[in-house]
Amino acid sequence: MQSVSLQRGDTKVFQDFNLQVQHGEQVALVGPSGAGKTSLLRMMAGGIPSESGDILHGDASFASATPKELRSLRARVGFIHQDHALVPNLRVCSNIVAGRFGRQGLLQALRALIAPTQETRLEVLQLLDQVGIGDKMYHRVDRLSGGEQQRVAIVRALFQKPDALLADEPVASVDPERARDVIGLLTKVAQEYNLTLVVSLHDIALAREFFPRVVGLRQGKIMFDAAPLDLQEGQLQELYSIQNK
Amino acid sequence: MNHRTSTLFALFIAALWAWWELDLKFVDLFPTKGGAQIARDFFSAAWRPAIDYQSEFVPQGAPPFLWIVLQGMLRTIYFATAAMTLAVVVGVPLSALGSRLVPSWVRIPVRILVGGMRSVHELLWAIFFLAAIGFNSGAAVIALAIPYAGTLAKIGAEMLDETSDRAYHAMRGLGTGKLMAFIAGLLPQATPDLAGYAFYRFECAIRSSAVLGFFGYETAGYYLKSSFENLHYQEVWTWLYAFVLLVLFLEAWSGQLRRRFVA
Repeated sequence: MQSVSLQRGDTKVFQDFNLQVQHGEQVALVGPSGAGKTSLLRMMAGGIPSESGDILHGDASFASATPKELRSLRARVGFIHQDHALVPNLRVCSNIVAGRFGRQGLLQALRALIAPTQETRLEVLQLLDQVGIGDKMYHRVDRLSGGEQQRVAIVRALFQKPDALLADEPVASVDPERARDVIGLLTKVAQEYNLTLVVSLHDIALAREFFPRVVGLRQGKIMFDAAPLDLQEGQLQELYSIQNK
Repeated sequence: MNHRTSTLFALFIAALWAWWELDLKFVDLFPTKGGAQIARDFFSAAWRPAIDYQSEFVPQGAPPFLWIVLQGMLRTIYFATAAMTLAVVVGVPLSALGSRLVPSWVRIPVRILVGGMRSVHELLWAIFFLAAIGFNSGAAVIALAIPYAGTLAKIGAEMLDETSDRAYHAMRGLGTGKLMAFIAGLLPQATPDLAGYAFYRFECAIRSSAVLGFFGYETAGYYLKSSFENLHYQEVWTWLYAFVLLVLFLEAWSGQLRRRFVA
């Protein structure tokens, strides 16, 4: 991200913001609510355009992309939403095949939704097996537990075959033990598939335990960008306490 | 006078005005002496619905009365089914185009069109299409389909607007085209409600299809009208009972289908 600025309403969320993430890198974004973590992730996914500056994905630029190029760029970035954003009354398999709709034409996508090929079904099954819910492939999503739905959302993003995986507060509403499982799973699959991983987190302990790079964000500014071992307690206190001033 | 009291007062004045304009008298709400006799004859026939023709002059070779009832009911269903199919084919895409997902330069003209379709009653459309196309089944089906498609489009658009668009936007975020994101992300969530409403409208279409008989189409209304005009009240009751049975059957069937959609 190069000199990116973003304004929402009267509030300047980012001004002249810079961040570089290498391919295959795993980064945790931490910071208090309203720090701009979600906006940053959405800009990185091409979901909201920046007002100035540019977001580069490899050599490709979001700012100068045509609508068609933008679609294809978005298809290269997997996004795991806080509330999963699944279709509750569709089966797991149908939700997962949606991951690739951005790369498919209308007819191809319709076919994948209504009657996926055996090859597609096998691919979906393998991914579901990998996250431990292979037996849920034909279950309706709204019949699954919250944790299982989260895994479906992860598999949908993996099925997309992205270069990068972005996750917005994936453990905001789960218990601490499950939160460790989810973050462990995300970092593991990102490593296996050689994906760039950027995750926004509230839990600083999780960020330090699982991520080699932690970026502290507050009011649209980077407060620190360091390896967990180099993080000072004072930096963390400053990150959260200043907000109360 | 607060807002609620003034509204009630305005409604009361409007009611008084309407009664005065129509020169209504309280006594007009009760049947005349002759009318009371007709009502008595009619309602006493309710216990003895006809299982055969009431007329003594039945042409030789005429099919049995109950067979005619069955045929009349079937034709009622045929018209309603054909019209409802057309209404769904036209109404569902219009409901999508009338939803808030679509830019206002498309949505507003679509909503005006839909308003026009549903503001004219199916019987008025029937008069128009009978004159324009002539007396054939197509005119009746189109007359029924237009207002039904309009109503389906209006209610459908409201249902789509109330459906969570999280999955739709998530799919758009992956680069999915608008149409596909609508088909896969929004439509499945709205389908149970849409289907439930379409079934309810099908029941309404059955009733309207029966009334088309008054224009000469051989639906239940056609036979009902002729039985009534000939004062064959027992036959009338047979038709009415057959009709009630059909509607109850449809209600049970659609309820079962709705449960399956939701389950």
